[in-house]
Amino acid sequence: MSSTITSAHGSDTAGEALRGGAPTPATDPVLRAHQVRRSFSMGSRSLEILHGIDLTLHAGELVALVGASGAGKSTLLHILGVLDRPDDGKLEVGGRDVWSLSTNERARLRNLEIGFVFQFYHLLPELNAVENTLLPAMIELSWLEYQRAKKKLRARAVDMLVHFGLADRLEHRPGELSGGERQRVAMARALLQNPKILLADEPTGNLDSSTGETVLELLFEEQRRRQLAMILVTHDSRLADRCGRVLMMEDGIVQADSAHPVPD
Amino acid sequence: MFRSFISWRYLFARRTNLIGMVGILVAVAALILILSIMTGFLAESRKVVRGALSDVLIQPAWFAEAPPAEPLLDATVRDARVRGCTAELVWGGVITQRGRSSVRGFSSPTSANPFVVQLIGVDVQSVERFIHPVVRATLGNFGGTLPRRRLADAFTATDFLQALAGTAQGPCAAPVKSPLFPFVPPRAHTGRGLPKPAIVVGDQLFDRLNMRVGETLQVATVVQDPETGDAQVNNQNYVVAGSFRSGENEMDRTRIYLARSDLSDLLGGTRQFTQVLLRLKDYDEYSAPLVADLRLSLAERGLIRGGEWGLSEVRTWEEFNQNLLGAIENERVLMAIMLSLVLVVAGFTIFAILSMMVTEKRRDIGILRALGATPRGILDLFLLIAFWDALLGTIMGAVVGTWAALRIDPIERALSDAFGVQIFNRDVYMFDHIPAIVEPSSVALIVIGAFCCALLFAAVPAWRAARLDPLTALRYE
Ligand SMILES: Nc1ncnc2c1ncn2[C@@H]1O[C@H](COP(=O)(O)OP(=O)(O)OP(=O)(O)O)[C@@H](O)[C@H]1O
Ligand SMILES: [Mg+2]
Repeated sequence: MSSTITSAHGSDTAGEALRGGAPTPATDPVLRAHQVRRSFSMGSRSLEILHGIDLTLHAGELVALVGASGAGKSTLLHILGVLDRPDDGKLEVGGRDVWSLSTNERARLRNLEIGFVFQFYHLLPELNAVENTLLPAMIELSWLEYQRAKKKLRARAVDMLVHFGLADRLEHRPGELSGGERQRVAMARALLQNPKILLADEPTGNLDSSTGETVLELLFEEQRRRQLAMILVTHDSRLADRCGRVLMMEDGIVQADSAHPVPD
Repeated sequence: MFRSFISWRYLFARRTNLIGMVGILVAVAALILILSIMTGFLAESRKVVRGALSDVLIQPAWFAEAPPAEPLLDATVRDARVRGCTAELVWGGVITQRGRSSVRGFSSPTSANPFVVQLIGVDVQSVERFIHPVVRATLGNFGGTLPRRRLADAFTATDFLQALAGTAQGPCAAPVKSPLFPFVPPRAHTGRGLPKPAIVVGDQLFDRLNMRVGETLQVATVVQDPETGDAQVNNQNYVVAGSFRSGENEMDRTRIYLARSDLSDLLGGTRQFTQVLLRLKDYDEYSAPLVADLRLSLAERGLIRGGEWGLSEVRTWEEFNQNLLGAIENERVLMAIMLSLVLVVAGFTIFAILSMMVTEKRRDIGILRALGATPRGILDLFLLIAFWDALLGTIMGAVVGTWAALRIDPIERALSDAFGVQIFNRDVYMFDHIPAIVEPSSVALIVIGAFCCALLFAAVPAWRAARLDPLTALRYE
């Protein structure tokens, strides 16, 4: 069934070889952050949360982002996902400086290159599972284009949902779905446009451990198969161990990066 | 594509939109209804004012020797621009006796209503006046009859004919035998002694005095004795030939029509006519030059006083009613201002509904932005919601408003019956029905106005939604 879901980047065999391993050095980074800073003003004084983060991410990399609560993991993830603008520093996606692009180009980048999975699912309550999954395509295409591509897109969305075990939940609205089911719909939505980057902020934070395990398995499988560059924010150290690379955040900087061990 | 899809979905998923739509519906419907009724009132008032006065009115200044109307009629009918003309003698009177007993209202000193009436003497038979002399001669030679249309033309200059036609529908109607010859006395009462002159009474007066066709009515009036200059009371008995109904309360309550010669008799021959009414072939084109011409030519012949007097002796109906028409026009401007406020109210409804929606849907806005929607896309989405609201609201409002305006009379009656309150008091107004005219152009204007107003007001919350920071929106719980 999964064979119908074609990936634009990479193949199954390459994914298998790269599980947990280092990226191919030859490929260009899909995402690069350079000296990213972010501070929030709390009343009169301003509080810096990110003190200059450097990060390079290649296709096929699976990165765990860990750190204490309040360390700034979500803040960093939002910046990497072009949802938030850093006060200082540079962010490149696919070699392009994101914040020198126009608003529309940035929106298109979010739509096509980056997939989000949030802790609280963030589905539209008025739309059913298939419609929620199709949302990125609806946003991308004009009315006419969408009508033309509708059949194919719908088939793709349905295939993905079926693959995620939601075959008999297609017409359900988020309110009628369990947490795990909602998160799987959100995953299907994040993957619909075949993005290069997948950002997941505690995707299992709201799920019990066994449900979380199923969701994660699906997520990892897709990451492998599609050769996604993926960042997974988590508090679970066992989960972090399963990722090829672990970033440890503390006090607004990356304290440890398993890919580049800090020299003593 | 998400704009149309999601706006449509929100439209039906959210009850508040229904409120917005109903708000616009009510505003548009009310506007159309009010405007139609006001337009109806204005048109009807104009018609009433005009109807009683014809197109052009000639009121010669006082001549001591009471000249006949014929020279003046001859002079005016010769003008090719005149379709018909007729002379009227208008005088005040009082009903003093009914049958053999005096009228109750009059006998009681406490009654405030002495049945003061307006006596209008009209020409019904003097048809040949309105035919060109050449035609008249030809017709005479062949012994031909007079064409009916011509007769009606002259007669309608008084609008009495129309009022008689309206009698048939009146609730207390007593139609005359022939509208073209209304003063033919009922056969039963021409008997003893001399035949009495006949009168036709307004149907409200007829109803109030509980009259019957054929009964006798005594009417008195005051005239000046031509020799001594003293005031003297003349009275005369008349036989009621029927009633008429114009629909205008004042007219139906106080007017009595009779033949001009009969009224002149009552006045002891001191007056033959007080005014000449003209109907023109094309009012808009001819009225101004004709009035100017008549002022000159009639004065030259000594048929009117002329000079300073001439200006007020020959007038169009509009000049005659300058103040009233000015007031009507003024009212229209005032109304336009008031009505546009209703549109603003409709706009505010949309503003409130959409503002609520933007707040309620903050998280959704954040999600859409995160998935790649542009600020412009979000703006369009909310404008589109307002667009559907406005479209459905105005269309339904236009339908409901137009329907209500067209059926206002039965609706008013049903409401009056249901609540036991008379909503439209027919005694207070000039009309016995609620006049309503639905002008398609004003309906279109209201629809477009409401539409634009709604979209204009929707722009503010839509703009706010577009400006929303996606992260703040996502965090919103
Ligand atoms: N919009 C904001 N305004 C002010 N302060 C903010 C804002 N967003 C984040 N912060 C602050 O930045 C710090 C980091 O927040 P962040 O959500 O990135 O933490 P986190 O590492 O994701 O924590 P957790 O593991 O609990 O999710 C927190 O102290 C938070 O109070
Ligand atoms: Mg967080």
